[in-house]
Amino acid sequence: MRKTRKSWLLMVSLIFVLATALAGCGGGKTADPAPATPPAANGDSGEKKDPPAEGSDEGKWVLGEKPLQFTAYAHYEGTDFPKWESVPLGKYLSEEKQVKIDVIAANGAHKQKLSAMIASDDLPDMIWTDRDDPMILSLQKEGKLVAFDPWLDKYPNLKTWMGDLDLLRHEDGKIYRFPNWYSSNPYGTAGYVVNKKIYDELGQPPLETTDDLYNYLKMVKDKYGDSIVPFEPHRAQDRQGLGVLYTAFGEQLSYSNLKANLLAVPKDGKLTPLLTDPTFREAQKYIAKLYREKLISQDAFSQTEDMVKEKVMTGRVAVFAGSSPTDIASKAQIELTKDDPNGGYFMIWPIHKPGLDKNKMTAGTYTSFGWNAAHITTAAEDPEAIFAFLDWMTGPEGMNVQFFGPEGKNWNGFDENGQPNFTENYDREEVTKISSENSPWQLVGNTSYIDPAKWKYMSTLPPEEQQWEVRYQQTVTWPTQLNVTEFVGLDAPPNSDEDIIAKSVDELFLEIYANSVMAKSDEEVDQILDQGNQSLMDLGYQQLLDFREAKWHANLEKQKK
Amino acid sequence: MPQATTEQQPSPISRQPKVHNKSLFRRLLKQWDVQLMVLPGVILVFIFAYLPMYGVITGFMDYSIFTGSNIFDNPWVGFKHFEAFFNAPEFERIIRNTIVISLLKFFIGFPAPIILALMLNEVRHMFFKRVIQTITYMPHFLSWVIVAGFVIAMLSTENGSVNMLLQSVGAIDEPINFLSLKQYFWTILISANVWKEIGFNSIVYLAAIASIDPALYEAADIDGASKTKQIYLITVPSIMPVVIIFMILAIGRLLDAGFEDILLLASNPVLRPVADVVDTYVYRVGLGANRYSYGIAIGLFKSVIAVFLLTIANYAARRSGNSLW
Repeated sequence: MRKTRKSWLLMVSLIFVLATALAGCGGGKTADPAPATPPAANGDSGEKKDPPAEGSDEGKWVLGEKPLQFTAYAHYEGTDFPKWESVPLGKYLSEEKQVKIDVIAANGAHKQKLSAMIASDDLPDMIWTDRDDPMILSLQKEGKLVAFDPWLDKYPNLKTWMGDLDLLRHEDGKIYRFPNWYSSNPYGTAGYVVNKKIYDELGQPPLETTDDLYNYLKMVKDKYGDSIVPFEPHRAQDRQGLGVLYTAFGEQLSYSNLKANLLAVPKDGKLTPLLTDPTFREAQKYIAKLYREKLISQDAFSQTEDMVKEKVMTGRVAVFAGSSPTDIASKAQIELTKDDPNGGYFMIWPIHKPGLDKNKMTAGTYTSFGWNAAHITTAAEDPEAIFAFLDWMTGPEGMNVQFFGPEGKNWNGFDENGQPNFTENYDREEVTKISSENSPWQLVGNTSYIDPAKWKYMSTLPPEEQQWEVRYQQTVTWPTQLNVTEFVGLDAPPNSDEDIIAKSVDELFLEIYANSVMAKSDEEVDQILDQGNQSLMDLGYQQLLDFREAKWHANLEKQKK
Repeated sequence: MPQATTEQQPSPISRQPKVHNKSLFRRLLKQWDVQLMVLPGVILVFIFAYLPMYGVITGFMDYSIFTGSNIFDNPWVGFKHFEAFFNAPEFERIIRNTIVISLLKFFIGFPAPIILALMLNEVRHMFFKRVIQTITYMPHFLSWVIVAGFVIAMLSTENGSVNMLLQSVGAIDEPINFLSLKQYFWTILISANVWKEIGFNSIVYLAAIASIDPALYEAADIDGASKTKQIYLITVPSIMPVVIIFMILAIGRLLDAGFEDILLLASNPVLRPVADVVDTYVYRVGLGANRYSYGIAIGLFKSVIAVFLLTIANYAARRSGNSLW
């Protein structure tokens, strides 16, 4: 026994000695190259031969003149860039214009992947993610991002099409992000999609007010029972259809009030708590009533996106609402009308509470800078070339190539408004294919340019031949989206007090939100929300509101300028 | 390390001859050819289990990811993150859920494969036994993503097969929203776990049963022992050493209440009060919210308790002569 213990002691101490030794080695190994090599040199694209042409001032980067190769990484859950050469845009650019992009894939673990790349100081040249992703804020703070300011005039497309760039600036006053789908006009597709077949079978009752909706859903439930979901809100933890229902209870009511990065109601220049807001409560009581009477999908909070898709694609929903219901519904439209030309879906004007002005309903929100943004890191060997390339992509030529293919086939030259001249060889099916295949690589979309260009062609077609979603964008969804640009960038810096509060407030809010939807009575809704508000306050919700309010006011100041 | 030496009589799993009076080094040298085979495993364990362990000291620092592996550039903060965890509003329910789910998994998930093995052992029809064995161990090879997908689809209220079955036999009038009601969650979680792992875990017990000397059963038969008696008096005692070793290992993992299974099955925020455990919390807060030091501190706290539990379990098991060390 004693012998055994002794040998164990020996073994354990040996392991510790070895561990220390190896740990020392490991530390030294990684610490060594960091100071020796500047950040630019540790990119893995050793094939690049040309030195950066920054020295000469005339060295303006022009597409196709010399090779450009860089690494790109999409920081999104479950979304990686497809291989560059696998999409028409990448095939054309790599074959004809010497632009090659190497994809860095997260393979489903994006948070781990980016953390690992930062910790090992092996950053991709370009990171494409949400505009205000906390990791991007940290990267900027640590000086790992490249500011675009010196090149904004040299390559002017972003400045031309985006207009005011002030709200894009980070705290140090510089611009580090290249926005995607920025626009000065409303866009977005939040709203309600209605199953046409069921609507016809029920005698096309009015569907305008919340009462109409309730009655209609009851009719659906009575007639079809369990076989049809009366109201499908998509994944309710992301608000989606339930958030759209919330907007029915006020004029110009913002869907974004429910989003994690706001969670407040702006009122008279102040941010007030959401859970005590009378309009929110009214909406929650209405939603809870629908849920209780099984008019809303009972799986709303537990289902996966695939389950939602399956229901919509097979026409098993009567009303489908969400922050972008057309994504699924436009595909379902094609499938369902194959068998039955009168089937499919149509969009309705957003529902409103009786007494409100229906023309002031806003089912969704948009900001002038879209959703995602491209960021260039200090790992890039020639950041100017990457910026210039992105600027080419967002300009008229780049946008046209992405949507209509290379110049010459479907389009040729520009008209007096700068829009493409479509040729006689214009092939509609090919164009649809090109633009949908390119869509994962549309990094820096330019809505203000491409929407009129698409519409230029579409408007020459009779209405029934127009694309389903494009038709409703023009007539329903675009006029009913609210501009919430003033509320962007209210996030606190990572690991600050407010950031930690925001995370726990968001988590708890979701729990309270779901509980209030499943409440048994109006009184219970009130009770859950009262108690919930108290719990949020205990977590420091008020401090968060004050912080966000100050940032919001700063945004308003910037906008006034 | 493979020498499990005890002063009692050798158990089936420690059959090495007792060598007490030579030094460890001499003994190792003598069987160098055998030790050579162990070496790759030792190196592997060392590199992937021991070496990364020095990172736990970041639990006592404010770790910034930008310092990379130069972890000593970070400021020391002592027990700040541990205190923050103990004072977190979620602390109580996380600990409670971790303990409850772990104990449920232990008391149901641990004996289940033993019972299955005992039952399979009594099946005389070879073909039937093989089929059952194959069917029960297959789910082990499915990832939790797939299993959770099955479970969610089966339990959904719209077109969920469980609800349809219950409705068609008249057990319920309205579909039950299984995945949104707190009272069902633990049952669902444990059942899914048992379903997934029961067959695979029973293999080792079946092997242990197979090694029992048939003469024992024959003798019992002659003495007139019934089938049930034979199970209690021969099978169970014979596989006891294996059961105890696996029980010690299970106790070591006791606080691993689960991670993927809970993360995937409890996507509904309503379930968080019954589903949030240490590991899911570490993942959400540590990785999701980039509070690395905080996550590491909680992970370390959990590991310390696990080591403590393992030591106690081993101490208790040593009395039966089947301890790990």
